[in-house]
Amino acid sequence: MVDAALAALTAFLDPLRLGLLAVGVLAGLAVGILPGLGGIVAVSVLLPLIFRLDAATALATLTGALAVVYTADVITSVLVGTPGSPAAAPTAIEGHALARQGQAARALAAAFLSSMAGGFLGVVGLTLSIPVARPLVMLLGSPELFMFTALGVVYGGSLLGRSPLRGVLSGLLGVLLGLVGPAPAAAEFRYTFGQLYLMDGLSLVVLALGAFGVAEVAGLLARGGSIARQASLGGGWREGVRDVLRHPWLVLRGSVIGVWAGILPAIGATAASWIAYGHAVATSRDRERFGRGDVRGIIAPESANNAATAGDLIPTLLFSVPGGPAAAVILGALYAYGIYPGPRLVQEHLDLVYVIVWSFALANILGAALSFLVSPAIARLTHIPFAWVAPPLLVTMALGAYQSTRHFGDLLALFLLGLLGWTMKRSGWPRAPLLIGFVLAKPMERYFWLTVNLHGWRWLGYPGVLAIGALMVAPALLAAVRWRRSTRQSETRGAPTAGGKEPPPATGPAQPVAVSMALVALLLFGIGVAQGVRFQYDARLLPLLAAIPGLLLTTLQLARALRSEPAGPAEEEGVEDAGPGEDRGVWREELRQFAVVGAYLLCVWLVGFHAASFAFMAAFLWRRGHLRPPGALAYATAALACFQLLGVGLQLRWPTGVLLR
Amino acid sequence: MRRLVTVLGLVFAVALAVQTGGAQAPYYAGKTIEIVVPFAPGGAADVGARFVAPFLEKHVAGNPRVTVRNVPGGGSMLGASFFAANAKPDGLMLMCTTSSTVFPWMFGHPSARYDLGKMRVAMTMAFGPVVYVSPRTGVRKPQDLLRPAEPLVYGGIAATGSDLPVLIAFELLRLPVKVVLGFEGRGPIRLAFERGETNLDFQFTPVYLTQVVPLVREGKAIPLFTGGVPNERGELVLRDPVVPDLPSVFEVYREMYNSRPAGPRWRAYEAAAALTFSYGLTWWAPEGTPEAALRALYEAVDRIVADPEFRERAKTVTGGYPLRRGDQVESGVRKAMRPTLDVKKWIVDLLREKYNVRF
Repeated sequence: MVDAALAALTAFLDPLRLGLLAVGVLAGLAVGILPGLGGIVAVSVLLPLIFRLDAATALATLTGALAVVYTADVITSVLVGTPGSPAAAPTAIEGHALARQGQAARALAAAFLSSMAGGFLGVVGLTLSIPVARPLVMLLGSPELFMFTALGVVYGGSLLGRSPLRGVLSGLLGVLLGLVGPAPAAAEFRYTFGQLYLMDGLSLVVLALGAFGVAEVAGLLARGGSIARQASLGGGWREGVRDVLRHPWLVLRGSVIGVWAGILPAIGATAASWIAYGHAVATSRDRERFGRGDVRGIIAPESANNAATAGDLIPTLLFSVPGGPAAAVILGALYAYGIYPGPRLVQEHLDLVYVIVWSFALANILGAALSFLVSPAIARLTHIPFAWVAPPLLVTMALGAYQSTRHFGDLLALFLLGLLGWTMKRSGWPRAPLLIGFVLAKPMERYFWLTVNLHGWRWLGYPGVLAIGALMVAPALLAAVRWRRSTRQSETRGAPTAGGKEPPPATGPAQPVAVSMALVALLLFGIGVAQGVRFQYDARLLPLLAAIPGLLLTTLQLARALRSEPAGPAEEEGVEDAGPGEDRGVWREELRQFAVVGAYLLCVWLVGFHAASFAFMAAFLWRRGHLRPPGALAYATAALACFQLLGVGLQLRWPTGVLLR
Repeated sequence: MRRLVTVLGLVFAVALAVQTGGAQAPYYAGKTIEIVVPFAPGGAADVGARFVAPFLEKHVAGNPRVTVRNVPGGGSMLGASFFAANAKPDGLMLMCTTSSTVFPWMFGHPSARYDLGKMRVAMTMAFGPVVYVSPRTGVRKPQDLLRPAEPLVYGGIAATGSDLPVLIAFELLRLPVKVVLGFEGRGPIRLAFERGETNLDFQFTPVYLTQVVPLVREGKAIPLFTGGVPNERGELVLRDPVVPDLPSVFEVYREMYNSRPAGPRWRAYEAAAALTFSYGLTWWAPEGTPEAALRALYEAVDRIVADPEFRERAKTVTGGYPLRRGDQVESGVRKAMRPTLDVKKWIVDLLREKYNVRF
C-alpha cells in the first residue's frame, strides 16, 4: 500500500498534471466564492476539458475542483453573510457576526485553516477506510441508515435556540419544504400544484441563498454604511490561526462528523456542517457567544464540510455509489473512461485511488493558500459602503440560483424563500432547523419506508439500531439534566441561560412581522394538512407528521405573537442574532429593500438577465450608492462585462426575458 | 482573483477562435451541436452522451464542436419540454435521453410537453440488463424462481422508470416476488442485495460485468437471465451478445411454460424492454430536421462503430453494444412507443392496481 502511494506520488508530480490540478483548484475556488454555484458546476465546467485527458490527469483535475469548493465558500459567508454554498450557512452566521465586529480577517483565517485541516483529515480518513469501509458499509442496512438520519435530526435539536417552540416549528417547516416533489416510496408528486418546476422538489441551493443570503443583504442594505462597524481589520489573521490551534479536538471531531456524513448516503456536506455546528454548541460550556460570532461555530462546520467531501468519495470509489451530487459527476467521468469503481478499483487501479488522495490533499493546501492570498483584498470590501457591493452581489445570487434548474421558478423561489428567511429572522425563528429539516426530510422518509417494507418491525431490535438509538438518547438526557439545572439556577437569578446567549437588551421581534410569520406558517402547514390527507398511504405519513403538529403549534405561536409578547429575555431570538442595537422600526426599511430585489427579479423575467442587471446595478448605484450617473454607468458596465466573462468561462446560462422571446 | 480573470479571459478567447474557424462544404462544418441531456450530470444518459460526444466531433463530416448541456428537472420532463420548445429544425440541438422520458409521454402525463412521436431518431445505443439472485433463495436456474426457498424480494426505484420492463417480466413469468420500491438508484439497490436486504436484482451489463461478476465468483450471486435482444423483425427473442451464456426472458418463458409467450403481457414486455434496453439511449432530433443533417449523423455512426478506439472503450463503457443508425432503428422505436390499445391498457392497469400510480 505504501509502495502504491509513493508510486502514485511520483506519477503525480508531472508538470501537466499539477498544472491541471491547479486549473481545477481555480475553478473550484471560483464557484466556491460565488454564492449559488457549487461543486456540480465546478466539476461540470471541467468535463468538456477532461474528456481529452488521460484518466489520472482527469481525476486530478476534478478532485482539485471538488476539494476546495467548501474552502472558498466561506469568503462570501463571512463578508456578506451570504453562504457561498449551502454547507457554509453556519459560517454565514458566526463568521459574518465576527466580520460585523471588524474581525473578518480572524474569521476567514480560522475558516480557511479549519477547512484545510478538515480536508486533510478527511483524506486521511479516506485512505485509512479503504481496507475497512467495505465490511463497515455492509453493516449499514436501511434500518441503520434511517437511524442515522434520525440522529442528525436529534443533533439538529441543539440548534433550536432560545425558543424551543419556534425552533421546532422552523424544523417542521423545513421538513414540509423538503417533501415537495416525488415521494420516495409511492408514485406520487407532493405539493407541486401542477408546476413542472416543483416536480423535482425545491433546490437546497436556492433555499440556502434565499433564507440566509437575500435576507441578510436586505438587512445590510436597510442599515446602510459598510459591513464592518469598526474601522480596523480586527484581531487579524494570526488570531484566527491561533483560534484553530487552540481547538485541535474540535477540528478532529468536526472532521470525523464530516467523513461519517460523507460515507452515509443522502447525508451530505450541508447536514455535516450543521451537525458539527450543533455539536460545537452542545459541547461548549460557555455558549453566550454562539450566534454573535463564536469562532468555534466556524471551526467545527468548516472542518466538517471539507471532510465530508473526502467522505463522499469513499462510497463512490469503493461501491460505485456516489456519496453526493458532485461525486456523481466524478463517477460519471470514471464510467466514461470505462473505469467502474468498486472492490476491483482498489485491486486494479490502486494508483488512481492514490492520485485522488494526493490531489485531494494538495488541492486543500493550494486552495487554502490561494484563499489566504485573495482574502485581504476581499476583506477590505467590508469597509466600503455596502450599497456599492450589493448590486453585483444580488446579481451573482440571481445568476447562481438560476443555475439550479435554469427555470424562472428558481428566481421566484429565491425571492419567496428570501422573504420567508427574512420574516423568520425578524420574528426570532431560528433558520438552522429549517435547513436541517429540509436536508434530512426525504432521506429519512426514504429509509423509513425501505426499512418497514424490507424488515417489518424486527429492525427495532437490531444491535446497530439500538446502538445508534443510544447515541440519540444520550445527549437528550444530558441536555435534560443541564436544562433542569439551569432552570433551577434561573429561578434564583430570574433569567434562563440554557441553550443560547444573553439577549441584547430591548431587541424584541417586531410584532407585526412576528404575527405575519405565524400566519405564513399557519398557511403553509394548513396547505400541508389539506393536501396531505389526500396523498396515498405511504406518501402521507411524514407530511402529516410534520404538518399537523406544525399547525397546532403555530396557533400557539400566533396567540403568543398576538399577545404582543414582551421583549423579555425568555422570548428572544434563537441561536441567530439580529445584531445588537438594531431597533424595531428597521423591519419596514428592510421590507422596502425586498421590494427592490423583487423588482429586479421581475425585470429579469421580463427583459432578461443582461438588460435587467445593467439597469438595476446602474440605478441602484446612482440612487442608493450615491454615485454620480457616469460613475454608476461605468461601474455597471464593468460589472456586466465581468459577469459575461464569468458566464462564458463557467458555461452558465442566462435567463432570457419573456418580452424578448 | 486577477489570475482567475486572466484564465477565464483566455478560455473565452479560445472558445471564440474555435467557433469562428472552419470550412463550408459539409453540413456541420464550423457548427456546434448542442446535446441536451434532461438529467443531472453523472447519470446514464449524461455518461453516454459525453462518452459519444468526442467521437461525434471526430467522425461527423465537417468536425463540428459537440457540447453537452444538462437540463435536469421534473423527472426529465423539464429538459425534454425545454428541448421541444427550443430546438430549431437545423440539427444543431439534439436530445439524448432514456425511457424515463419516453414513458411519461407514452402514458400521457400532462407535464410531458413534447411529442416524441414526431421527433426524428438520430441514433441509439443499447443497455442490457442481467437478472441475478442470491444463493440463499435456493434458486440455481430460472425455473427455480417459481419455488424459491425463501420469499423473493426485489428492490427498485420507481414503477414508471427503468424498473418497468423487469416488473412486467415478473408478471409475464408469474413469479412470486415482493417488490420494494423507493431506492435512490441502482447502486444502493446493489448494496442492499449484497447486504441481504433483497435477494433478486438486475443491473445493466457494464455494472454487472464489473460489480456483480466478482460476487458470482465468490458464490454470492447467481446470474439467471437477460432481457433479450430484438431480431430483425423487432421481436425480443435473441440472446444478449455481451452475456451469451444466459437465456433471455423469451427462452425462460418457453422453458417454464412450454409455449411461446404471446398476448398483451408479452407485447407489453417487448415494448417496455425495447424502450428501456434495446433503444436505452436515444439521440433525438426535432421534427423537420434536414435530411442532410440526419445523413451526416447516420454516416458518422458507421465511422464511429468502425473506429477501433471506440470499440475498445465501448467494451468497458457500454458493455460492448454498438451505436446504431437512426434510420435503421426508427421504425422499431416508433413501434415500441405506440403499443396497441390493449397492451397500453394492460400496462396502465398493472401500474394503477399493483403500484398505485395515478394517471
